[in-house]
Amino acid sequence: MIYLDNAATTLIKPVSVEQAVLRAMRTMASPGRGGHRPAMLAAEAVLDCRIAAAELFHVADPERIVFTMNATHALNLAIHSLVGVGDRVVISGFEHNSVTRPLHALHADIHVAGRAVFNPEDTLAAFQKKLPKAKAAVCTHVSNAFGYILPIYEIAELCREYRVPLIVDASQSAGILPIDAQRMGAAFIAMPGHKALFGPQGTGILICGETGSPLLYGGSGSESFLQRMPEYLPDRLEAGTHNVCGIAGLHAGIAYVQERGTAAILDHEKRLLGIMARELSDSGLDLFLGDPEHQCGVVSVRPGRMDCEGLAQQLADRDICVRSGLHCAPTAHQSAGTIETGTVRFSFSPFVAEEQLRHTCEALREILSSSS
Amino acid sequence: MTQYLIMCRSLTHAQRSARLLERRGISAAVTKAPQGLSKRGCAYAVSLHKRFDEAVRILREHEMLTGKLYMRSGETYIEVPT
Repeated sequence: MIYLDNAATTLIKPVSVEQAVLRAMRTMASPGRGGHRPAMLAAEAVLDCRIAAAELFHVADPERIVFTMNATHALNLAIHSLVGVGDRVVISGFEHNSVTRPLHALHADIHVAGRAVFNPEDTLAAFQKKLPKAKAAVCTHVSNAFGYILPIYEIAELCREYRVPLIVDASQSAGILPIDAQRMGAAFIAMPGHKALFGPQGTGILICGETGSPLLYGGSGSESFLQRMPEYLPDRLEAGTHNVCGIAGLHAGIAYVQERGTAAILDHEKRLLGIMARELSDSGLDLFLGDPEHQCGVVSVRPGRMDCEGLAQQLADRDICVRSGLHCAPTAHQSAGTIETGTVRFSFSPFVAEEQLRHTCEALREILSSSS
Repeated sequence: MTQYLIMCRSLTHAQRSARLLERRGISAAVTKAPQGLSKRGCAYAVSLHKRFDEAVRILREHEMLTGKLYMRSGETYIEVPT
């Protein structure tokens, strides 16, 4: 099998991840619910992961690392903390439904900034124009549909200039691009654990520059007399039993990223991107490629003569796993002009070998030539 | 041996405080605080038997001293002024 759907979930994880999950399952109970050994082991595992995440993302205080179920949960927490009904919100032209659906549910006054893919100047100019009077801004770091790296630090700077709190969706960048939360100064940074941080599904992180408002209410193991959530992090936003097994696995995944280094991971993904660009340049596919400086992790293609789902299925029949359609990001496809057809997305990880990608390109050429 | 408790605002805070003290060579453990010591219900504390004053100073220096301090005397806890 060749797995190229890493932008959805990394399937191939470091062995240490499954070992950590299994160890947690066998030895750990609920953190904050008792003083006995299995409870304290769980608490130690959760804290270890908080500290590792704080180090990787340059967060001074590990208590500002909040564990969530996934990036969608983290984004909902952030959006509901900052956005009220009808508020003006600026988003990029490349947002996922995990951003736009909560905003629509709040009947937010949504202003889309920047539609040109792989064009950071356009993105920045649009944010500059639309930020004044906004209640909040939400921006993805990397487009999940096209791999476009948005100029997030410059957008963060603009947000500070206009005093607009910023929510960053780091779903496609966490573990691949360097993220410095202190330098970014965002109100919130949301990310999944199960993508390039190599944790299991059901894990996510919200880095909190602000305290935030709870989405879920319940037990926190603290201040139990009170019928409101504690005022302090992380307890305020972590009601209910933690996904201890998942968090233990996530810690092992983060440790892998730290050991290998985001620079080496990014280099590898850029090499894979270069291979696809070279091998498919004369294939007849519409290739969505930008300046290599502004793209990572993902290549979207559109076959001229067949539909995207058909192409993805033919690849699946050859045990090559990709994703077709709109990738839960219709806003991004509207921006790129692919809303009618969608695209076929190839997404990478450090566990994708160059040879696997060459084999995939060969399969693509065969499928296209047999369909013509 | 005298037991001291440093009350913490959360389990995470207690863990971080205990780890900081351990790194400074002060033996410290995280423990659930006796119910009577917290008016808000379940709470965690750092428990230690030695070098209490030094521990308090270190936590204060790191802006991690957020709760009350207690010394155990028999079955009761006496608040220690900060």
